[in-house]
Amino acid sequence: MAEPLLPSGFDELEQFVEYWVRDTNNERWKQRSKASMEEIQRFYDHMLARAEDAIAHLDAFPLDDMPPASERLFKLLLAIAHVAMAVEMHGQPIAHRAQLRSDLQMTQGPWPFGGSSKEQSKRDLEETQ
Amino acid sequence: MMNDMVIGANLGQGGAKDSFTTALGLGTGPVPVDSYISPEFFELERTRVFGRAWLYVGRTDQLPDADSFFVKKIEVCKASVLVMRNAAGKVQAFHNVCSHRGNLVVTEQSGNSKLHRCAYHGWAYGSDGSLAGVPDQKNFFQLNKKECGLTPIATDVWEGWIFINLQREPEISLKEFLGPYAESYAGVPYGEGHETLVIEARFKANWKLIMDAFSESYHVPAIHPATLAPGFSHPVHNKYARPLSGNTFGLHSAWSAYGNPEYAPPPNSEVERLACKVDTGGLLGSDVNDEVLRLRAHPAINPTKETCWSADVTAIFPNFNIDYSTGGYWTHEFWPISRNETHWILTIRIPKANSVRRRLQLEHYAARWCEIVLEDVTNCESIQKGLESGAKDVMYLQDGEFMIRHQQEILRKWVNAQTVAEAMK
Ligand code: FES
Ligand SMILES: [Fe+2]
Repeated sequence: MAEPLLPSGFDELEQFVEYWVRDTNNERWKQRSKASMEEIQRFYDHMLARAEDAIAHLDAFPLDDMPPASERLFKLLLAIAHVAMAVEMHGQPIAHRAQLRSDLQMTQGPWPFGGSSKEQSKRDLEETQ
Repeated sequence: MMNDMVIGANLGQGGAKDSFTTALGLGTGPVPVDSYISPEFFELERTRVFGRAWLYVGRTDQLPDADSFFVKKIEVCKASVLVMRNAAGKVQAFHNVCSHRGNLVVTEQSGNSKLHRCAYHGWAYGSDGSLAGVPDQKNFFQLNKKECGLTPIATDVWEGWIFINLQREPEISLKEFLGPYAESYAGVPYGEGHETLVIEARFKANWKLIMDAFSESYHVPAIHPATLAPGFSHPVHNKYARPLSGNTFGLHSAWSAYGNPEYAPPPNSEVERLACKVDTGGLLGSDVNDEVLRLRAHPAINPTKETCWSADVTAIFPNFNIDYSTGGYWTHEFWPISRNETHWILTIRIPKANSVRRRLQLEHYAARWCEIVLEDVTNCESIQKGLESGAKDVMYLQDGEFMIRHQQEILRKWVNAQTVAEAMK
């Protein structure tokens, strides 16, 4: 049997793994900014409904040492912070009168799964120039 | 020279009663905008401001051990600066330029190494900048290794902040340069062992336009209606997000930002509620803890001790801000690349996550910052376009924008002055 994508009980969230599970804060931000409002809202509704359950499940592990399925759930949970910007603040995928841009990056995000080390991110930044 | 002055806001009924601008001895007339667009002005900024002022390059915790180093590019001065901690623990900056034929020596951003070897012919330098080794030295002519170390750059440290001066013989010491600012902000607590978040952008606008964006809160209700306005203005008591206090310290300046004491996540903000459940601090992401209490007790922080205080913005001339808030502190570096290009670095230090919920809160906090700065950066490029059109010769600054006026006045002095002594008058 194949490894489950998410811990048991969270199967209905598996449909969101491919798009919303990302390794860094910056990527989660960019994914949300590129998504349509329908996609954002759908993920928001499903994830929010299970957010407390997810927190309860994840609390059993150290933050930076989780089984792969739980780590994916953790990253999925973190993405809800970004979709909340669109749903709860702007009512649209990105801020009003603002444009998604490649020259603006969160080059270091919160630990864990927030962002690359400083060196890596500097390289990312330079590549975008 | 401008004095150390504090004016309280008496904000009960909404905004400053007194004028910061006049009390600080600043002008009140329109301000020319040539400093944002003129190539000649930019050339003078390059040589007379960035070439002569003390510039922030990093914090001592970026050099945790002996032989730690980092490299800081200062594009406006075309300098690659190697900052090292030597075996004795001393922090010193050098030009990252090989004494042999001028290659850049260190190519990594940061790390720890006793020896730095130039890739071209292998000359090697110690963490004290001395020339430690020359391959086939016998084939040179009277090479005096002692004279061929890396070229030192004047370096000094204030409260853990590392500054350099690119003049070969600085005309002014860091102490004199910081002047009353250093006295007032000495001993402000910086959180220990904090998480570091970094947001960077390169964009097409003069460096001062992004600096200006953090010099006033007048724009908050208009540019940041969803991200900031609910927490930093008040529909009745402070509709226009007026500052609580304003101050100048010689070349430097500060203002205190209002925080809406009634702020709570709006009813539809389910995720904000979810993320902030463990927290009492709200928008800036803090818990009320010892560190925050110590910060609030410092006389320079929120100097008029308003209860509706959220953060202090302090600007160190020419291009460095240190901002203190109830939820950690952050710094801005506003680096010119050219007249209309800027590299801006926002570094946020905030307590680390110790639970899943707290980690989610940090993600929410970081996500909100990203939205805010996206709004600011987009707007800066729009201003640059407006000014480049040549339609306007001046801008009109209101009282809450006194920091921009102060920066413009100091900048013009430095640009016009033949000597630093003259600029400091
Ligand atoms: S240029 Fe550095 S060793 Fe030759
Ligand atoms: Fe802003």
